[in-house]
Amino acid sequence: MNREIIPAPAVGLDFRKLYGHQQSIAIRANDLIFVSGMVAVAPETGERLHGSVTSEAHRIFQNLKLILESAGSSLAQIVQVHAFIYDRIEYDVLNRVYEKYLVHQPPARTVWSVKIESGFKVQLDAIAIAQ
Amino acid sequence: MSTKREIIQPKNANLNVSKNFSLPHSPGVRAGGFIFLSGMVSIDPATGERAMGTVASETRQILSNMAHMLESAGSAMNKVVKVNVLLYDMLEWDNMNRVYREFFPTDPPARTTCGVQLAGGLKVEIECIALA
Repeated sequence: MNREIIPAPAVGLDFRKLYGHQQSIAIRANDLIFVSGMVAVAPETGERLHGSVTSEAHRIFQNLKLILESAGSSLAQIVQVHAFIYDRIEYDVLNRVYEKYLVHQPPARTVWSVKIESGFKVQLDAIAIAQ
Repeated sequence: MSTKREIIQPKNANLNVSKNFSLPHSPGVRAGGFIFLSGMVSIDPATGERAMGTVASETRQILSNMAHMLESAGSAMNKVVKVNVLLYDMLEWDNMNRVYREFFPTDPPARTTCGVQLAGGLKVEIECIALA
């Protein structure tokens, strides 16, 4: 059994340092990687990139890709996603972006329509296989 | 090291909601010794249509379908380790809980319940992680 912190692959994704969030970006435990809820920030600077559900979701998938690939995994290795959106009415808007990144044999998923921190419209967390 | 990632399908095709409703997720995935199920809503196993009802009736239908889903994948309700319950209104928490306990009578799994907006007039959505 081991539990290993995955370091932020870019300074802008170090939420603990930049925003004081008391969390790691991701943890590897046995064969799985657990990624914290990701929002639309610029990986180079950490600047919040508020936008539409579409633009935020694109940014988030790019960030998840960076994190998972830095840990030797990939988007295709994701097994479960929690997709948080600020309003259920945008469900289909999310799906349009979502299916561009998770095409073949997509992961299990639940969409939660909730209030998201800092006025973001989308947040995604993920569990992936560590390769 | 390579861990397999396998998609799970219900034996009853009517419960394959992601396929029947063309949604971009799978019913479930087996990986790393666990099974991860997508959020399930109340679906009539005889027709595949949404079965809207009370929080109690939807909870019963979902958990019954969840048992089928897990059994289709060689797992079972007593192997569930974590459940997330999404309710349209937290005032109905007890109505969910009364039915829920019938399905997990002893040593129930870890659970989180949240009040959220749900789609299509449904009142309950439930997802879980179980041992494979």
